[in-house]
Amino acid sequence: MSARDSRINWAKLLILLGMGVYLTQLIISGNLSNYINQRFGWLAYVGAGIFFLLALVSLWGRIKPSFHAHQHYRIGWDIVLIAAFPLALALLIPSRSLGIEAINGGISLRPVGVGNAATFARSPLDRNILDWLREYSRAAPAEFNDQPVDVIGFVYREPVHAADEFMVSRFTMSCCVADAFPIGMPARADAIDAVTVGSWVRVQGRLNAANFAGELLPVIVVETLEQVDEPDQPYLYP
Amino acid sequence: MDFIVNIEVFATRFLGIFIEAVPFLLLGSLTSGLIESFVKSDDIVRLMPRNRLGAALGGAFLGLAFPVCECGVVPVTRRLFSKGMPVSMGVAFLLAAPFMNPIVFASTYIAFGFGPVFIGRFVITIVVAVTVALVIGISAKPGSVLKPIAMAGGHAKHGHDDRGHDHDHDHDHDLASLREKLLHAVGVASDEFFEMGRFLILGSALAALMQTLVPQESLLALGTGNVLSVLFMQLLAYILSVCSTVDSFLALAFVNTFTTGAIISFLSFGPMVDIKSTLMFTGVFRRRIVLYLVLLPFVMNLLAGVLINLALGY
Repeated sequence: MSARDSRINWAKLLILLGMGVYLTQLIISGNLSNYINQRFGWLAYVGAGIFFLLALVSLWGRIKPSFHAHQHYRIGWDIVLIAAFPLALALLIPSRSLGIEAINGGISLRPVGVGNAATFARSPLDRNILDWLREYSRAAPAEFNDQPVDVIGFVYREPVHAADEFMVSRFTMSCCVADAFPIGMPARADAIDAVTVGSWVRVQGRLNAANFAGELLPVIVVETLEQVDEPDQPYLYP
Repeated sequence: MDFIVNIEVFATRFLGIFIEAVPFLLLGSLTSGLIESFVKSDDIVRLMPRNRLGAALGGAFLGLAFPVCECGVVPVTRRLFSKGMPVSMGVAFLLAAPFMNPIVFASTYIAFGFGPVFIGRFVITIVVAVTVALVIGISAKPGSVLKPIAMAGGHAKHGHDDRGHDHDHDHDHDLASLREKLLHAVGVASDEFFEMGRFLILGSALAALMQTLVPQESLLALGTGNVLSVLFMQLLAYILSVCSTVDSFLALAFVNTFTTGAIISFLSFGPMVDIKSTLMFTGVFRRRIVLYLVLLPFVMNLLAGVLINLALGY
């Protein structure tokens, strides 16, 4: 084996090991929930396990020259560099969930997916933003008048919104961030200037049907608006 | 500032697709390594039906016995041809096997659940694979379809897949050889991961880039046309060449902007034909047949996607 092949094989070994470590680190730190639906978190365990197995066998091939791994393909530096790209991104850029910057063309007032008996049975104070939008699609706006709301989301505003109007928003995610989709509930508050757009807030208030950006909608009349930390599960799972 | 924010959003989107997809790529690579080490293809070919339609149907489902993705399928098809598999069966296997496999079932199910996308992908894959197999099978003489190197009694011993490890196919099952076979399988899996991983990484990067930079209105303009959306997604599938074990997660990036027919066509056409498999086809089939193998699935999948869109009434 040439010196070049040997260097490439060490680089491959490092990448396999690095991927295993990266997935493990995502699981331990909880950052995995920034990327995929927690329902599929077990996939990361499978991935980490296989990466470590491949790295181990690759190491075996490095330290025991009599075991010559059969080269199925010719792997060159170009392929090694491409394989290192995800690791480079993971190392250089701090892990974070999708936020307001990722909204590309507006927020939906329509729910994603369909609710079931369990979600519809939730009492108003237990409903999250997705549950509420599903309720909105089942009845006229005025029917929600005076119902209490207590939700967490990030603040989103558009130029068409009046000075006291905003939306309290979340991304929904079915599988992974590839299908993440922003949804939001219209709200009205006097103290809106106190919070930064994009920051996470807990909104408590009561619903009242009103005109919001040209549409009759249930609007949260905010009673308390407090800044909170990003939740451990930043996304809502339909 | 804007630039840095865009990079952060891109990183999250890219890593999301990659993290969700990579376990499936690894499982596929391991399977491919195990097949290479352990499976003897002659017996399975001998058990298959001989008449043309039966052979084509059998070929379409043969992937369940050889769970390979689109990258693994060409060497396996070539090996099966050299063992005397009929042309129609081989072509159906080649086109259907990358989807017809438990790992791809699982990734499609996780991404889309058991609904129109899963069922559409299944049905279209079988219909297209069997039809193309029958069309090509009409020129029944293997000599007019296959390159000499891929034919029974040809120089299979010198083929890429058999090169240099005839010792892997002997019959002694003592412990040392079992360990060696397992190590060999894992070694092959490593190489497969790097070889196929680059298509996953480049494909995920392109999808994440489009989601981050292209305004949603532009994607919607492209993605809502009954025909245009299908055409675009098929061309994308051809260019991206992403492994069938993980393409469902890439398709997810387009569910909010593209028609269902386009998503299904992306998923049924991509595993059959793409840039890298076209290149690999040329090593097995004669040039005219390679053209059929690319164009027939393209046209049939396009029709299927458009019909689905019309039926769903976009």
